[in-house]
Amino acid sequence: MSAWLPLAACVPLVAGALVPAVGRRRPQLAQGCALAASGWTVLATARLTRRLFMEGPFSYAMGGWAAPWGIELRFDAWSAASLFIALIMLAVLVYSGPYARAAIEPRRLPWYYSLLLLNLGGMVGFACAGDLFNLFVFMELVSVSSYALVAVGGGRIAALAAFKYLLAGAVSSVLVLFSVGVLHALTGSLNMADVALRLAAVESRGPVVLALAGLSAGFMLKAALFPVHLWLPDAHAAAPCPVSAVLSGLVVKVGIIGLLRTNAVFAGVDGLPMAAFGQVLAWLGALAIVAGALFALFQQDIKLMLAYSTVSNIGYIVLGLGLANHAALTGAGIHVLNHAIIKATLFLAVGAIIHQTGSRTLRELRGVGRMMPWSALAVSIGALSVAGLPPTAGFLGKWYIALGAFAAGQPGFAAVLLLGALLIFAYYIRILNAFYFRAPVDDNMRSVHEAPLPMLLPVLFLAALCILGGLFGRWPVALVAPAVERLAGGG
Amino acid sequence: MEVIDSRIVLAPAISLACALLIFLSGGHAAWRATLALGAAALKFAVILSLLPGSLQGTVYAYTLFDFPPGIGIAFRADALGMFFALVSSTLWVLTTVYAIGYMKDRRQKLRFFGFFSLCISTTVGIAFAENLLTLLLCYEALTVCTYPLLVHDETPEALRAGRKYLVYTLAGGALILFGVVMVQHLAGTLSLSHAGILPADAPRPMLLAVFCALVAGFGVKAAVMPLHGWLPSAMVAPTPVSALLHAVAVVKAGVFGLLRVIYNVFGVELLAMLGYAAWLAALAAFTIVAGSLMAMAQDNLKRRLAYSTVSQLSYIVLAAALLTPLAALAAIAHIANQAFAKITMFFVAGAVEQATGRRHVHELAGMGRVMPWTMGAFTVASLSFIGVPLFAGFVTKWYLSLGALQAEAWWFVLLMIVSALLNAAYWLPIVYLAWFRAPRGLPARVREAGWLLLAPTLAAAAYVVLLGVTTRVPGMPFSLAEAAVNFVSGTRGGG
Repeated sequence: MSAWLPLAACVPLVAGALVPAVGRRRPQLAQGCALAASGWTVLATARLTRRLFMEGPFSYAMGGWAAPWGIELRFDAWSAASLFIALIMLAVLVYSGPYARAAIEPRRLPWYYSLLLLNLGGMVGFACAGDLFNLFVFMELVSVSSYALVAVGGGRIAALAAFKYLLAGAVSSVLVLFSVGVLHALTGSLNMADVALRLAAVESRGPVVLALAGLSAGFMLKAALFPVHLWLPDAHAAAPCPVSAVLSGLVVKVGIIGLLRTNAVFAGVDGLPMAAFGQVLAWLGALAIVAGALFALFQQDIKLMLAYSTVSNIGYIVLGLGLANHAALTGAGIHVLNHAIIKATLFLAVGAIIHQTGSRTLRELRGVGRMMPWSALAVSIGALSVAGLPPTAGFLGKWYIALGAFAAGQPGFAAVLLLGALLIFAYYIRILNAFYFRAPVDDNMRSVHEAPLPMLLPVLFLAALCILGGLFGRWPVALVAPAVERLAGGG
Repeated sequence: MEVIDSRIVLAPAISLACALLIFLSGGHAAWRATLALGAAALKFAVILSLLPGSLQGTVYAYTLFDFPPGIGIAFRADALGMFFALVSSTLWVLTTVYAIGYMKDRRQKLRFFGFFSLCISTTVGIAFAENLLTLLLCYEALTVCTYPLLVHDETPEALRAGRKYLVYTLAGGALILFGVVMVQHLAGTLSLSHAGILPADAPRPMLLAVFCALVAGFGVKAAVMPLHGWLPSAMVAPTPVSALLHAVAVVKAGVFGLLRVIYNVFGVELLAMLGYAAWLAALAAFTIVAGSLMAMAQDNLKRRLAYSTVSQLSYIVLAAALLTPLAALAAIAHIANQAFAKITMFFVAGAVEQATGRRHVHELAGMGRVMPWTMGAFTVASLSFIGVPLFAGFVTKWYLSLGALQAEAWWFVLLMIVSALLNAAYWLPIVYLAWFRAPRGLPARVREAGWLLLAPTLAAAAYVVLLGVTTRVPGMPFSLAEAAVNFVSGTRGGG
């Protein structure tokens, strides 16, 4: 019964290793294997989440070695993100069928599915890791597979973007590894709960602050927080669309979950400048909201637009983390999940449109709304949701973060948040205008057809989640409530 | 007495379902017309069936979703909400008939009628909103749904107007959201079922910020100067859209929001203590005069109508800001009075354009001789705006003046007289031109517009007279307004 936890992370990893072997002889089986493995992960994480709802957080000791010496996998509210991760990955894998056949060389196809599975396993493992070193290992798994996924489509631009991403990722990894080393040297332990206890006894504050700064900087780089976002737009725009959905929706969240985890480690330690740290986060977040939205406003390439919107949305989450009171943390936690759904919807729907029309600038895509009504509908829902129009999923996070800004006595941040929402809406209006209300510029647009069903179904499923995630927002709020309680209470 | 009744969710849901049906299967013109008309009639019937209970003081409530947790998407039909819902659903029936006639030869009718239905759905949602968040939700949805109607012709001019509209209204929506978050922070609730929820001991700067954010936010759609810029440009839309949305649904949503803010969020007592309403009243008074002056300068008939709307809406704002029961009565009653008179005028403008292609005031010479019924309706509406007794507009001016005297602000009575003169100065020339000048350059075959256009026009004009003549008859909208005033002010000052 308790083996579900390690299996949730291991099955996709093992399957990821086997898929190229299977696919060598029978390339057509690769997608089936990947689907089976990710379907299994959805089931496993759903069971785990159900147990979390009923019993609260629980752990699994690998090989029977108890924490703090053994490897501990821990399933708590933040780990429940793995259910969303698995669901979105399943949607992406279904979607990949027709898309990847056209966009990726046949001999690379098994590798493509293998990389996606490794990525999935890495993220699930990252979300459930109970000790710092495994956190690092899973992060590397995610990162390395992401670098390769950016380049998987081929072409010089993609390779260059992947290399840029690799450089940034390497810096981030070094920072995290270094800080983990410092913490280990200080406390002699790697288990996060244990480290948190032992840190209180550490005399010198200097190295502790150094570790906090190193971990935060490392994870911020992974999360592409402005102004260290420079790697993100190119990587996300150059990757194939299903990969962009994974990178933008899920992989950047690795940085956020990392921040949440390490915050919890340092929360109980006296004498740390946590308030100042929170203020820095909040200001960086506010800056990212406005800057990301402004950059997005001036893009012609629709995928670049979406990529900059991710920069802006990461700003919301970090602002929520920085304000660090109950409402703001709830907002940040929910937005981690909801933004994943929304951004995946947008990238997949836009991907369907790019796949069918072959063009990706707003100018060339004029009038596509009439030719591809369902995909365009999904883009519209995603756009309204990311702008935070009630009752969509995107509204909830912003609502709580704004409430948190008032509770923290800093209404200025609430104003920034709304300004950001307005700017975001301004650039999505440009997309909708082009899709629905402008006459097509070239005549090829009139012969475009709606995307095939395997692409359309996941898109519509995710678009429905964008609305249902808002209307039934009670559940995610209840999910993150205990974890928020602990963070807000401690900090 | 409060009852749980799903009919108040049914009312917006009918139009929503109608919109979905139209989008999915509305390719055929007759089927589409049947759907739109059927939904309009059904919705009207549902709301009408709530009326008897509402007149006796029953309040209907229904909670739909618990979103966000603890606040919820909830509906509640008190007398004020019922009044607004009744007005808009009545007018929707008329406008649907008119639109079927008007849009006959236009393109993209599927999109038009689909979003048309969505708009009325959200408008009734605004009327029945139980809390500020549900109100905001429907308010923003209304913005989004009107946009495709506004840019219907897809001309560069229409797109420009649409952009302007979105900039104004979305900025307003963001301000409202800012205010709503502050209300939630200060009061811990967003419910609109009390006469004031904000605590009187909250910090003054915060209360001022809430007032400014909410009033400015709703003031955009209510077209209070200097936030009115979007309304005249929005006149590029097809006439039924201008009629329903820019004289009735959208602008009234803004006004209705303001009423809710004044009566239910702040409450009359708190607002009287704070003294902010005097500023709002002054702004509204300025808008009444300035809007009229600008209307006088317009030659394009629809633009003149738009500026007249700007001016007329501020009657409601002014009346609400006076904070006396009699003025509140004027504010609520004017929602209906202005709506019916203004929609008559828009219908006339559309019919004249359809029949003759003329859009300017100076081209209307002799129009009364070729289109007597249409111009007759226009005359009725003009007289109502000027405030001639026995027409709807007089009722407003009468109670507003009484309310001003109650508030010991006699200069507003003076303002009513000035405004009546100004209204006469820009409506009567049109009436004169239409009836007492010979037609010029009209082809001989020009006749009245078709029945689909004429019938709603005449019905709306008849209603203007009806509202004016039967004000004190029980069961008419005015008694509902009285019930609403009893609720919001908690007093028996209904007149």
